[in-house]
Amino acid sequence: MKRSYQGVLLLSVILLLNIVFTQKMVHQFFYENYVNTLIYCGLNIVLFPVAWVIYKKLKKA
Amino acid sequence: MPSDKNNKIPFNEDNYTHNINRNNERSLDRRGFMKTLVGAAGVFAISSLPWGAVAAKELMGLGEKEYSHKKITDVSKLAVGDSIDFTFPGDHDDAILIRLSENKYVAYQNACTHLRCPVFWVKEEGQMVCPCHHGFFDVETGAPTAGPPRRPLPEIQVKVENGAVYAVRVKRYEA
Repeated sequence: MKRSYQGVLLLSVILLLNIVFTQKMVHQFFYENYVNTLIYCGLNIVLFPVAWVIYKKLKKA
Repeated sequence: MPSDKNNKIPFNEDNYTHNINRNNERSLDRRGFMKTLVGAAGVFAISSLPWGAVAAKELMGLGEKEYSHKKITDVSKLAVGDSIDFTFPGDHDDAILIRLSENKYVAYQNACTHLRCPVFWVKEEGQMVCPCHHGFFDVETGAPTAGPPRRPLPEIQVKVENGAVYAVRVKRYEA
């Protein structure tokens, strides 16, 4: 059976974004830009439900 | 003569391993991989929380701790260029107040940032000296200028009120 790897690709992109946002968050924290730290923290948290939805939609694809 | 054992799958040997049904449980298929990625996203989200919490705390100004103001000395008792020892904020946090000019006072916690020896104000040289290992500090900023210490002395904010000098708060340590 031919499988679609769209979900794998999307989730890999999300993992990449997670890594980038975490890096940014930590650096902004040590640069004492606390608003930016909060923004990246929020983005990181939002990515989890997004990843969950993508998994739900594409696990049978 | 070769045995015919190897040609039977599973061969009939009583070692209690051939009959375990593994059911592909160790293989990572596409869906399992996606599930792992979602789990990784969850771990990232959870591990972001403390950073956000500490950043929010800093934004709300909870990091700035204010101690009750403490009288150090009367202005009339401290000549220009002299120093006086006091303790702030606790009774065991030794500190030094130096009067640089008529209206300019500086105060530092005077435990040397090398090995916590008391740092003295040497009026003749115009700098602060740690006698233990000859560490020198700039009196204006508390920054180390020579010797083993590499970090500045924690500065104490002071204010002059009604002819007396009060210690207000310890400045945040900045690396």
